[in-house]
Amino acid sequence: MSAYIPVIGLEVHAELLTKSKVFCTCSAEFGGGKNSRCCPVCSGMPGTLPVINQTAVEYAVKAGFVMGCDINKFSVFDRKNYFYPDLPKAYQISQLNLPLCINGSVPIEYEEDGVKKTKNIRINRIHLEEDAGKLIHDDLNGVSLADYNRCGVPLIEIVTEPDMSSAAEAKAFVEKVALLLQYAGVCDCKMEQGSIRADVNVSIMKPTDTEFGTRTEMKNLNSIKAIGRAIDFEIYRQGKLLDMGKKVVQETRRFDDNRGETKAMRSKENAHDYRYFPEPDILQVNFTDEQLEAIKNSLPELPEQRIDRYTNSYGLSENDAKILVNSKILSDFFDTAVKTYNNPKSICNFVNGELMRRINLGEITLENLPFTAEQFAKLVEMADTEKVSKNDAKDVFREMSEKGGNPEAIAKEKGLLITNDLGKVEEVIDKVLAENEKAVGQYKNGDVKVFGFIMGQCTKALKGVCTPKVIKEELEKKLKSL
Amino acid sequence: MDLEMVKYLSQLGKLSFTDEELEKMAGDMTDIIEIMDTIKEIDVTYDPVKDNHNVFLNDLRKDIPADSFPTEKILQNAVSSEDAFVVPKVVE
Amino acid sequence: MDITSLKISDMRSMLDKKEISAPELTAAYLERINSVDGKLESYITVTAEEAEKAAEKAQDKINKGEASPLCGIPLAIKDNICTEGIKTTCASKMLENFIPPYNATVMDKLENEGIVMLGKTSMDEFAMGGSTQTSAFKKTKNPYDLERVPGGSSGGSAAAVGASLCAAALGSDTGGSIRQPSSFCGVTGLKPTYGRVSRYGLVAFASSLDQIGPVAKSASDCAVILNAISGFDPHDGTSSRNDVPDFTAKIGQDIKGMKIAVPKEFYAEGIDEEVRNAVLKASDYYKSLGAELIDCSMPSLKYAVAAYYLISSAEASSNLSRYDGIKFGHRSEIGDSFNELIANSRREGFGEEVKRRIMLGNYALSSGYYDAYYGKAMALKQKIREEYEQIFTGCDVILTPTAPTVAYGLNENISDPAKMYQADICTVTVNIASLPAISTTCGYDSKGMPIGMSIIGKKWDEATIIQAADAFEKNFTRQNAAI
Repeated sequence: MSAYIPVIGLEVHAELLTKSKVFCTCSAEFGGGKNSRCCPVCSGMPGTLPVINQTAVEYAVKAGFVMGCDINKFSVFDRKNYFYPDLPKAYQISQLNLPLCINGSVPIEYEEDGVKKTKNIRINRIHLEEDAGKLIHDDLNGVSLADYNRCGVPLIEIVTEPDMSSAAEAKAFVEKVALLLQYAGVCDCKMEQGSIRADVNVSIMKPTDTEFGTRTEMKNLNSIKAIGRAIDFEIYRQGKLLDMGKKVVQETRRFDDNRGETKAMRSKENAHDYRYFPEPDILQVNFTDEQLEAIKNSLPELPEQRIDRYTNSYGLSENDAKILVNSKILSDFFDTAVKTYNNPKSICNFVNGELMRRINLGEITLENLPFTAEQFAKLVEMADTEKVSKNDAKDVFREMSEKGGNPEAIAKEKGLLITNDLGKVEEVIDKVLAENEKAVGQYKNGDVKVFGFIMGQCTKALKGVCTPKVIKEELEKKLKSL
Repeated sequence: MDLEMVKYLSQLGKLSFTDEELEKMAGDMTDIIEIMDTIKEIDVTYDPVKDNHNVFLNDLRKDIPADSFPTEKILQNAVSSEDAFVVPKVVE
Repeated sequence: MDITSLKISDMRSMLDKKEISAPELTAAYLERINSVDGKLESYITVTAEEAEKAAEKAQDKINKGEASPLCGIPLAIKDNICTEGIKTTCASKMLENFIPPYNATVMDKLENEGIVMLGKTSMDEFAMGGSTQTSAFKKTKNPYDLERVPGGSSGGSAAAVGASLCAAALGSDTGGSIRQPSSFCGVTGLKPTYGRVSRYGLVAFASSLDQIGPVAKSASDCAVILNAISGFDPHDGTSSRNDVPDFTAKIGQDIKGMKIAVPKEFYAEGIDEEVRNAVLKASDYYKSLGAELIDCSMPSLKYAVAAYYLISSAEASSNLSRYDGIKFGHRSEIGDSFNELIANSRREGFGEEVKRRIMLGNYALSSGYYDAYYGKAMALKQKIREEYEQIFTGCDVILTPTAPTVAYGLNENISDPAKMYQADICTVTVNIASLPAISTTCGYDSKGMPIGMSIIGKKWDEATIIQAADAFEKNFTRQNAAI
């Protein structure tokens, strides 16, 4: 197997978070009753015309910027013609020769054989197109039911150069793209809802070959795991074919998630003749330099910039910074928490410790936390200022994770709140000393080891009232004065 | 135009013909292509930029959703079931 | 005097003076349709009930003094313009029972004006043809001679106007489909500048060439209708944001000094002698009014028919792919799989000419042929545009015949598609160059058949071609149709 070098290219499709569809005013939101988000335009009725959504174009350009692309200041839409029942017009409006974005690059980091590696994956193009509908198969009646709610949802297709050579690289690329799109605010990248998915092209070649081998394509892979498994299987399958002296056939193959195998599709029309031509219903889109500059300036902070801020301004380790930034929702949570309590290191520790622990245990999810970042920050602050002990803070956090709520109220209710009431401290210490005359005597005679014992008695009696530091100070003062 | 090409084009356009119809179509297409071939003698190249209508980003439709059509109106000209279009099975 | 033969301006004043009511006017047309259309076959659908209701509503507006120029005027609509709740067939078996759930933008505009729609007129199937004989339902006849074609594809609209079965009509023009039947039926038809009138709701044939326009009894009637249907439409991204002028504004202005170009290729071999002479006679008349005639040339005209058929068929092959029997339209009884069902639905639903265009379009776009056909045709489109721009640097309008011949016999040409295509030579460049043009009757041949001339204008300058056509019409007496 190692005799071959895999050559992998990806086409990543991402649905854009616009409010309306790309060519009509129907809502682009996920869900809804079957065919309830349709109009004559997106259901392909005779006489209808597409009218392009400005925000969809802007979002595609944003995606281009975050992937280092050049933007075509003159961009053309084309029709891609094919018959399929999820495509009511029997053509998809897409872009062929003059897409919105070209020539980008996305740096990836990945681990291979336990070694951390980096690589730049070149982006050939990003173009804007429309999504298709959904077919629900009714095996009982031998028919499919077509729901066009997703028809016309704006989609960008990100096409890479064949720069990847392993499943790990491809997976890292898709994860990075998803992260960039989330940061740019143009796609929610929910793989389970199909808002980001990938077509994978795989071929293999010998190190001595000067040309790429014949490639196969796996369409519509909708999880990172499936992408990795499909690539690994295809590399294995093609390698076996070549080892046996057989040829790889250029074709579209379907990845069967249950079996972990790819299978050739039966369709006779494998070699599609899409008959692309310029879409006459949509006039070409132009940009001024100012318009492009404005889009660029509207981009929010991106992952690299955020890592910089965390390491340089907040003094977090690069590792900690990356853990936070690699999940936008976690990083946003962290940023909100820091706004409430300006101690990034402390918050980071609590996030990477307690918060992640509960998440990894499956008790809570980041998407649906029962408490706010502000409440979380408050708890960290309470622990830092010793309003609760570090240990008790964990108890309070468990309660917040289960029922939600205000950490101060929870600590108070559980009697964990440290008040540092000095009158009460003095009273308790006096009582402890009176009850332990013998130990006090030993201490006075120079046996300093018993201090620990006395301190322990006091701490026990003063739990939730006062921090050990204060107890120690007061106790030493008292013992000295005896 | 030969029969193979006519068959290929009929597949592209999802049109089914009898053998007899295919023959006739091949004849018609040959006559028609003869007219079309007159353009072969002139040397010109299409330039997409010349077709620019100067539509700029800000001229495009604003992203404001509006009500969709009632589902029954979307389906009124179709064979439907459970609020969806009924499609015979697709062979892949 | 038969009120159905009046021009819109005359009807307007009678309605406003209460010399006739809108319901009476509508009834007169419905009666005439009833008695004549059995022979003429211009309407696919007559919407008598809806028309009577619309007439009542229009009369209310007139009574309140709120009548706009078209209020209460009975119009016919080509059956490829979507009318909500009223079947829109495109004269195809494919859409025999199609009921649009929405109105074309032009219909909304006309309804707001208070027009009375009498019905939907026949046409060549999906507007592909020049004879209206490819209609799956009504093969319309010529009102001047029932043995001849009315032209097409808007043959139903032109015949209905010519036979006074409506005051005026809407047609659509992709390569001459308003002008040529207007010429054949002895009426006036205007193809506006591409983008002037919204295409939303016009069932697409060739999207980059299609344009809706009026067919009427005069240039000034065309202007009144064009005023009502023009303007930017948020539902059509190719509709123009340019200000819409009053198209009647230049009517009656002196045309002295107007520069009229006469491109020699349009008068060359292949143009019938009687047609050529009639148009040249008209040019002499313009000269007598003080216009200046200018010789000019359009070298690429010989490639225009091929370029037009390649572009329009390519777009049509894509536009017509949506007809699969699943969402709307004819659904075959035969076919267990998706592919079988749609191939059978399309086989049964489309006529021969439509199938030929789909085949040609797919050929022009298919891999390996794109550059030689579609790509070359698009380049020629740019070349033809440039030649027009060049001609217009030295003139205001261009004068050509509308068609090489007068209306031909019902069974002529039909079996030879290649010959039919060549007959579009006079009209297609206007669509290719996105220009406005108007066709009006300039004479009659020895058999009494109308001859049309076309006046082509600069982009967005419909007002000047209307002015020029009107100047001719004012001193030309039309012969009544035989029917």
